[in-house]
Amino acid sequence: MPRTPAPGGALLPATAGVASGIALVLALLVAPEDAVQGPAQRLMYVHVPAAWVAYLAFATVLVCSVAYLVRRDLRFDRCAQAAAELGVGLTALAIGLGMLWGRPVWGVWWTWDARLVTTTVLLLVYVAYLGVRRMADDPHVAARRSAAVGVVAFLNVPVVHFSVVWWRTLHQPPTVLGPDGSPPIDPVMAWALAAGVVAFTLLAVLVVRRRVAGLRAAGSGTAAVLPADGAAPVITVVPGGGR
Amino acid sequence: MSGRGAGRQALPAGTLGTVAVLVRRDARVALGGVDGFASVLPFVAAGVVLGGLVLGPDPAALRTAAPGLVWLLVLTAAVPLARVVAAAERDEDSWDLLRGLVPPGVLLLAKAAVLWAALAVTWGTGTVLAVLLLDGAVPVAGFAAALLGLVGVAASTTVFGALLAASARGAGLLAALVLPAGLPALLAGTQAGTAADPLPWLALLVAYDLVAGATAWAVFPFLLEE
Repeated sequence: MPRTPAPGGALLPATAGVASGIALVLALLVAPEDAVQGPAQRLMYVHVPAAWVAYLAFATVLVCSVAYLVRRDLRFDRCAQAAAELGVGLTALAIGLGMLWGRPVWGVWWTWDARLVTTTVLLLVYVAYLGVRRMADDPHVAARRSAAVGVVAFLNVPVVHFSVVWWRTLHQPPTVLGPDGSPPIDPVMAWALAAGVVAFTLLAVLVVRRRVAGLRAAGSGTAAVLPADGAAPVITVVPGGGR
Repeated sequence: MSGRGAGRQALPAGTLGTVAVLVRRDARVALGGVDGFASVLPFVAAGVVLGGLVLGPDPAALRTAAPGLVWLLVLTAAVPLARVVAAAERDEDSWDLLRGLVPPGVLLLAKAAVLWAALAVTWGTGTVLAVLLLDGAVPVAGFAAALLGLVGVAASTTVFGALLAASARGAGLLAALVLPAGLPALLAGTQAGTAADPLPWLALLVAYDLVAGATAWAVFPFLLEE
């Protein structure tokens, strides 16, 4: 059976691959080692992009949820689901890398810090969002419920981002997007971080597009059966297919 | 159940009249049903007693932890109380009828009002027990924080209660949604009762109420469509 061409052709995967390579070189070889934290600081080049792109993914969930509620088009619902799955994965990655970094730098795997707690709450909320999607068999009912939860769930994102500003926390305040707008970071480190964000964003777009294509194929309810020699293809239609 | 008959009475014209009928009906159900206070209040009492046991006999530690413990118990109690949002309608299979008769905004207002009252009674019970058993103190700001913070919690919990109204599946997810939604109330409500300057925390609760209320008002109609 011929493979379905990847959405966006080969340009996006190639660009994401090149950006990832550049980010890797900048993070591991070019950027200077932190004078205080040592090599553990290099985890920041993955930890921070993972967290930022997770925010972006959850913002996508919000936009797609609102779009679904307005347009009632399952394409938006599939986009919301794919973005939520990616956001959950990246948030878990950010928490895990933060724990790996926290052990040598803070001396503990975990502490009851506002940023850590609110990020974990964010993760739990979107795990529950994905659970809500399974509560109904009808795709439009599931889409409507999850869209409502997707709108409510996004309220956690600004709480997470500003937690280090609103509360006195162990976690460092925003390094690049600080309230005063001046990044207190070495320029080479900033470039490595920016390259990581670009690479993660491109990879995220790639993953979401592929996931949306997969969900569309699964939800379309059509399963093509390979025909016998010269015969017409047999199409099985499953009720409840997507739009 | 004692409130069942009220569901069959004609809804009066006007928003306030409709809200009043729905509130009376749901309040009777909450008071009379096994899903309401009958199960929640003993849970709160057990929580305060066991909390005191876990936190130890040091009076200073108990006094410090008391406000936060009460708020945590209230949020935890919101999970079973969310089932009250559509308990009577689910039993009577009248949810569809009610949705057809009552505008979504009015229905949200009535359901959230009953839930707010239920949560307020729960907070009051927990606070009385905390004062008696944990040597806790409740300043005026603590009361104000409860009155304010529970508005947002009630609005969010009403949304999640409506989410489950049409489905018996996914009840376990309720805790993962209700508890984080009440995080601002948990934090600001606790701090307002203990901080030297409670005004910023009360302001945060007002902002939380506005955001939670506006979001609930925006998404609630979509949950009533099925």
